[in-house]
Amino acid sequence: MTSDVWGGCAIVGVGETDYVRGGDRHVCDLILDAAIEAISDAGLTPAHIDGIIPPPGYMSTEEIAAHLGVPDVAYHASILMGGASPTASLQTAAMAIAAGVADTFLICMGWNGYSALRPKPDARPTKRTMNLGPMGETVRNLYAPYGLMSAAQHYSLYLRHYVERYGVPEDAAAAVALTCRDHAQLNRKALMRGRPLTRDEYDAAPFIAEPLRKFDCCVETDCATAIVVTSIERARDLPHPPAVYLGGAEGHPQPADEIANRPDLLELGIHRAAPRAFARAGIAPTDVDVLEIYDCFTYVVLLQLEALGYAEPGDAASFVADGNIGLEGRYPMNTHGGLLSQGHCWGLNHVVEATRQLRGTADAQVPDAEVALVTGYGDLGDGSVAILGKDR
Amino acid sequence: MSRPTKTYVPSPEWIVLDWHHACIETDALCIQQCDKCGRWRHPPRRCCPDCFSDSYEFRPVAGTGSVRSLAVSHRSLDPGWNERAPYAVLLVELDEGPSVLAATDLCPAEIEIGQPVDLTTERRSDDFSLVWANPR
Repeated sequence: MTSDVWGGCAIVGVGETDYVRGGDRHVCDLILDAAIEAISDAGLTPAHIDGIIPPPGYMSTEEIAAHLGVPDVAYHASILMGGASPTASLQTAAMAIAAGVADTFLICMGWNGYSALRPKPDARPTKRTMNLGPMGETVRNLYAPYGLMSAAQHYSLYLRHYVERYGVPEDAAAAVALTCRDHAQLNRKALMRGRPLTRDEYDAAPFIAEPLRKFDCCVETDCATAIVVTSIERARDLPHPPAVYLGGAEGHPQPADEIANRPDLLELGIHRAAPRAFARAGIAPTDVDVLEIYDCFTYVVLLQLEALGYAEPGDAASFVADGNIGLEGRYPMNTHGGLLSQGHCWGLNHVVEATRQLRGTADAQVPDAEVALVTGYGDLGDGSVAILGKDR
Repeated sequence: MSRPTKTYVPSPEWIVLDWHHACIETDALCIQQCDKCGRWRHPPRRCCPDCFSDSYEFRPVAGTGSVRSLAVSHRSLDPGWNERAPYAVLLVELDEGPSVLAATDLCPAEIEIGQPVDLTTERRSDDFSLVWANPR
């Protein structure tokens, strides 16, 4: 059976661990915890799963299938775009479902983002590693020899340029950081719940790599999330209202594997993905009710809001300063707290939150949310967009 | 500020290694140039992005350029560089066109976008040379 790619499938199950620092769960257990929860939430069993998109590293499709007892994997794919991977995965699942190659996908993400990356006294390291894809070679050979080893440092090469070119005020970045922290106070699983952030604290925090201060950077966490995606026909028979995948896209800057030699340092993957995604979904930016924007760094959020058409280039400051992105605003953003304050699960936590918003079951629920837009952002500027909506 | 001597030095391979060997042999900054259309390109690539030719050579460049952007790090996981924090790494656009990352002896506050700089290379191993950019 074949059907439409856009609007032909829906998210029917979600799973999410706590967002923690340290703890005794092995990374494989985190991933499987989320997967089990997502399959159960969908009202399905592993026997219904015939497509798997595994995390970029840590665990393979074959292992996930074996540990869950998935009897017949008809299709799998690994998407390697760093933090843009999970949101881009929806596109792959939608195409495979529409083509009749597989019917029901498990997409999962999980890692020891706190415990495994750098030595820490209370951490449980793992011998398993993430797949750095194209980024590994570039950083190892071109950036790390100059001491540029973290994403904050690599991204600062163009974020500094962004600030210089447009005079982006620190107020704009602070608005993003504080909004995410505010929303995290309402999310029962957010790492930063109970730890509100003031503007004074934001201003007093040290720079990591200019223009990024400490609270412009997302929080390292140990966590996992998973979703189940199936055809719209099957979705209508399952327990939850489907979150329909209306359209989505990925995009890559040129060259994608290196920052320094791009003709325009601010022409990123999201700039190519956004118009494709809106065209496929058949909607305009103003049709969106909720924004879940990949927030590895505050300034990256500002750039994406501009690329999506919510502000002119360089002017996201006025968009976020107008109160648009708060819960009472026109475009409530990162209603779960985002990577900045809920936790860093490569943006699949944004997809989970968007699904809950459309079901009407989010901790910080936006009234009557009908369309949610999610972005992914990763590696050296790859981008992805997913537009989800209620079944009509 | 004295230059750090103990920092991470990679062991590149393939065409990135060819680039470093060219810099070391000539004791100058070399950049890859297309044999067919003459376009300079960096980092090293198999094919020319303009004409698709995969015939190329690494040749010395003038060693002049201007600051396009910079990364000002207030910490680095590399202890050698971390000692200099806050320190700047320059993104320099060469007069031939391509851009390179370069260490600098300048303090972050002394650097202006568009500032002209001269580039030199420092041999750090048989297979790796570090690029430096400083005011002429």
